[in-house]
Amino acid sequence: MARAALACCASKVMVVCDDIPLLRPASPRYHAHLPMSLIALDSLARFYGRRRGIEDVSLGVPEGSLFGFLGPNGAGKTTTIRVMLGFLRPTRGSARIFGLDCWRRSREIKAEVGYLPGDLRLYPWLTGRDALRIFGAVRRRDLMRRGRELAGELDLDLGLKVRSMSRGTRQKLGIVLAFAHEPRLLVLDEPTSGLDPLVQDGLRLRLRRLAAEGRTVFFSSHSLAEVESLCDRVAIVRAGRIVADGALEDLRRRAGHEVTIRWKDAAGAASLAPPGFLKIERREGAVWSATLEGPVERLVAWLHGRPFEDLAIGRPDLETLFRRYYEGEGRPT
Amino acid sequence: MNRGLLLKSARELWPATVLFGLAIGLVEAVLAYVLPTFQEQLAAQWGQLRFLQGLIRAMLGTEAAGALGPDMLLSIAWVHPVVLALAWGHAIVVATRVPAGEVDRGTVDLLLGLPVSRWELYLSETAACILSGLAVLAMACLGNVAGSSAALAGPRPDPGRLTIILANLLCLYLAVAGFTWLIAAWSDRRGKAMATAFALVLASFLLNYLAQLWEPAKRVSFLSVVSYYRPLFALRDGAWPAGDMVVLAVAALASWLAAGIVFSRRDLSTV
Repeated sequence: MARAALACCASKVMVVCDDIPLLRPASPRYHAHLPMSLIALDSLARFYGRRRGIEDVSLGVPEGSLFGFLGPNGAGKTTTIRVMLGFLRPTRGSARIFGLDCWRRSREIKAEVGYLPGDLRLYPWLTGRDALRIFGAVRRRDLMRRGRELAGELDLDLGLKVRSMSRGTRQKLGIVLAFAHEPRLLVLDEPTSGLDPLVQDGLRLRLRRLAAEGRTVFFSSHSLAEVESLCDRVAIVRAGRIVADGALEDLRRRAGHEVTIRWKDAAGAASLAPPGFLKIERREGAVWSATLEGPVERLVAWLHGRPFEDLAIGRPDLETLFRRYYEGEGRPT
Repeated sequence: MNRGLLLKSARELWPATVLFGLAIGLVEAVLAYVLPTFQEQLAAQWGQLRFLQGLIRAMLGTEAAGALGPDMLLSIAWVHPVVLALAWGHAIVVATRVPAGEVDRGTVDLLLGLPVSRWELYLSETAACILSGLAVLAMACLGNVAGSSAALAGPRPDPGRLTIILANLLCLYLAVAGFTWLIAAWSDRRGKAMATAFALVLASFLLNYLAQLWEPAKRVSFLSVVSYYRPLFALRDGAWPAGDMVVLAVAALASWLAAGIVFSRRDLSTV
């Protein structure tokens, strides 16, 4: 058990634990999550020779959360996961799960982790039953009962050999194997790929239920809609760096409001100059699409007495946020 | 060692083990039957075929000379290139499975996602390799006994001396497996690892052969693993080749250990 002592000195916070001898002062974001983080990555970098895998990944995943890890192909999602599971040794920085070093204590960590690889490949001779028997023997527990239940829910035939399975069926078997030992942490690398929409819905429902039970889900995806509908916290990785990390609602709040103003006529709209807190993104005749920075009241006050016909104000969806992070050099534009 | 990993290895290894075992057993049976049956004809040709003499001396060891006697014929069955190729082939197939084979077929992520340390995985693979190697060699022994029993002429192999040959052959098998593990520990491609290991054992075999014909090769023939496997002396004298077996065992252990260290420290993931 970690014996944690917090010693504050000026603005720095040092954390001392039994198995975490000393963590150096890191980014405020990292410290903000540290005391309750199940996963704690600090300035993590991993290079493949001269090629970058990840460059500076710091994030904390609280226990019991549904954490979305977003980024396009090649951004560094899978590299981060591989460092977390002890497949790759970090070039710099530290990665800890349950307070344990991911490289040195990987075996203990993985006893409590269910992992579904992004590019899942299974042994061709394996049947679902064989897999549950073998994985159960490796984990030294009986996975058959729970595995059968899960297979029933996913409509998976456990007698089928992997070599005769479709991609979606293989993915289902991967899900059964990742979930069957009821792990404390699930690390899922693009888990819905290859699954039909109904099974995807079932999986999301199950993940929500697991999070409600206090289990943690680390969910990597490039599907924004999926993360938005499922996750309560999100980190966005871009070119090997975390460019956004926090509760989805916080990220939306930080990104401001999306505003659409319809003026009474195009000529009137053209003669108006927008205020400084309203960043115009598009003008199409009598319609302005813009981003509002600051409180809504300011906009309402500015509009008072001006010839507008209609006003729509809302928070941006994840896709808009994501685009801004990607098009805006790592910060929302 | 992990029971689940052993179970997985057993599921994967049994077809290759049965196949190699049957093949080596069959070759041994044929050789053990044919060589004593045609002993007289072979002995008559022996003095005239210098090339054959050189080849057999290379197979049996540099000190083997003189007439083609029953012991020499019996020992040819244990050093025949096909027998050695099958034993080595099995060792190479088994020892390239982890990590090269797992990385190559993309299953290493799934395997490493399990709660086992790399040393535990490596030890389980080693146990599977030794057990399957023993099975293949036991089938060779059975084939040899069956062939000798079916032959009308010639001596029957003595069980004690057969045990010595098998122990020496097992050490040779493990030395080849050890080198192959070391190659596989560095590699991400199983085919490449197998080809490299095969080239090395072939070079080792050829070096041993060249040492009979060429003096400079004789000076470095100690580098060939084949030079530490001489069943003729076990069959003739019944003595344990302790020195040869120690050299092979040390080579096997050193390369196995080096491979384990490389495997436990290197980055591993699907490429």
